[in-house]
Amino acid sequence: MVEMIDLYKDYKVGKVLFPALRGINLKIENGEFTAIAGPSGSGKTTLLNIIGCLDIPTKGDVLIDGTSITTLSTKEKAEFRKNELGFVFQTFNLIPVLTAYENIEMPLILVNMPAEEKKERVISMLEEVGLEEFINRKSNEMSGGQQQRVAIARALVKKPSMVLADEPTANLDSVNAKEILSLMKELNKKKKTTFIFSTHDQLVMEFAERIIYLRDGKIATDKKK
Amino acid sequence: MRVLNLAWRNVFRHRRRTLITAAAISVGLAVMIYMDTMMNGVDSLAAGNIIDYETGHLEIFAKGYYREEGLFPLDTIIENPEFILQRITKIKNIKGVTPRVKFQCRINNGIDELPVLGIGIDIEKESKVFKTANTVVKGEYLKNQDDILIGKDLAKDMDLDVGSFLTIITRDRHGTYEAYDFTVSGLINTGHPLLDRNAAVMHIDIAQRLLSMHGITELCIKTRDENKLIQLKKEIASKIGKNFEVYTYKELNAGIFEISGLKRSGQFMIALVVVIIAAVGIINTMLMAVMERIPEIGMLKAMGFGNYNIVKMFIYEGGIIGIFGSLFGCFLGLLASFHLVYYGIDLSHMLENMDMVYPVKFIIKGEINYMIVLGVFIFGVVVSVIVTLWPVRKATKLEPVEALRHV
Repeated sequence: MVEMIDLYKDYKVGKVLFPALRGINLKIENGEFTAIAGPSGSGKTTLLNIIGCLDIPTKGDVLIDGTSITTLSTKEKAEFRKNELGFVFQTFNLIPVLTAYENIEMPLILVNMPAEEKKERVISMLEEVGLEEFINRKSNEMSGGQQQRVAIARALVKKPSMVLADEPTANLDSVNAKEILSLMKELNKKKKTTFIFSTHDQLVMEFAERIIYLRDGKIATDKKK
Repeated sequence: MRVLNLAWRNVFRHRRRTLITAAAISVGLAVMIYMDTMMNGVDSLAAGNIIDYETGHLEIFAKGYYREEGLFPLDTIIENPEFILQRITKIKNIKGVTPRVKFQCRINNGIDELPVLGIGIDIEKESKVFKTANTVVKGEYLKNQDDILIGKDLAKDMDLDVGSFLTIITRDRHGTYEAYDFTVSGLINTGHPLLDRNAAVMHIDIAQRLLSMHGITELCIKTRDENKLIQLKKEIASKIGKNFEVYTYKELNAGIFEISGLKRSGQFMIALVVVIIAAVGIINTMLMAVMERIPEIGMLKAMGFGNYNIVKMFIYEGGIIGIFGSLFGCFLGLLASFHLVYYGIDLSHMLENMDMVYPVKFIIKGEINYMIVLGVFIFGVVVSVIVTLWPVRKATKLEPVEALRHV
């Protein structure tokens, strides 16, 4: 479970302070498929970054399964990300010199695991995202939708407890966006992995089981379907 | 997939850039190897010329002579060389011993006069130590008492040829002017400027007669095993007593070998500049690699890559470029060096009219030192890795969230 307690985040640009989050209190249960929605500048990405140990709050705390992540050292945060989190980015962020297979295999570089098991996991993920035929394709040989599928497979290959996706459909057309969301939801149901994703896309919100709407760094609404 | 595999792929992301960077390293290292080969060749040729024509491996003088050798002091000569020969004759490591009389004189062709070094030799023993006899390019070796050998270059300067008459003028042991008429029996071309341009070689007894003395100025020794030269020097010194002094050819030509050291320093500095230029190329390449891959670094950090793995990846990249550049540099350097070893560089035109202190002329052939080649290869790789550290620092300092935001 992710618990945010009175979370504040300010950005300082020169001498001016920009508040991004202003007192967020929130609980997300394990296995939820949650969208964090809101207009640009509402604090969606900041919230995801803090949950993902990529950024630290100015004030407040984040507990993941009871562990405060704000007190972790840089090394411990990296370890936490390595073991517990998967990330999906708006721009896919695949490594262009690697094939689909190798991109999915990337997070396993850091995991001590027999090569055969790694191979099985990667192949199985490729099958789950429907890209078994694209195993040797590089990112420039795939469509945006296919690239995002690879990114999702990469996020899930090490079996994290939570996947954080920042605007995962922003660079996709509506057909591909639907397919990606269906895939994410399917994997959420199948693997019981918590999915938290930011969006301002109405289509994405339709797929979400819970929509937390942010406005000016505060929770405006929190609806469960 | 490992970090090394990833680094390998990254190196070939921009093939042209990688090739140019590696080529810069290659050129730097190739220059280093080529210059070392050339210097080894020059040193070896210089040492060979000194040993084969000037001093042998060792020289024995009467005590005090060498201190004033430039003045050719005839009052401190070896009066009784037989005494020394008897004492050193049983030393196994000695291949040959020959006496020489060296003195200052002037050579006169009837019109012009030049100062030269007069060298009196024992034609029977000379060939056991020196190769002078093999270098006669025109005419013949010393035969008659009034025969004289002069260098090809000196003959040209003095407008002399085989059969020409010349007069050697000098002062004898008592300071009295003496002169002797010679016939040029042969022209020598040794490759040692001292012999070819500034010396006149004659029978030792004529030289002794000119100088009104019976002794010799030095005994020249050739060894069987140059590696045991110092040992041999000590052995000879202990046998001949304190009235004589023994010097190795390196001690006798310390100035020349010092020049060689200086030249090597100069060579190293030039090569270092080339390598620094190559290193700047690597820094530039790696800096560009870091800058254009900031979002990727952010993604890797988000995945849980620590700074250790990020540094490792970039160091591998720098190392791979370094290994390629160094390998190709060694290959290029060796290729050019092999040409130098087998064909050499003909410096005769360049040095023809130059008064060289260094005892070399003609074709300079190289000598490859494979340990240096190995050292240069390691140096290239190490420099490539070290200079990578600076751009990589930038990557390690990146916060993942900032890196991901980078456009």
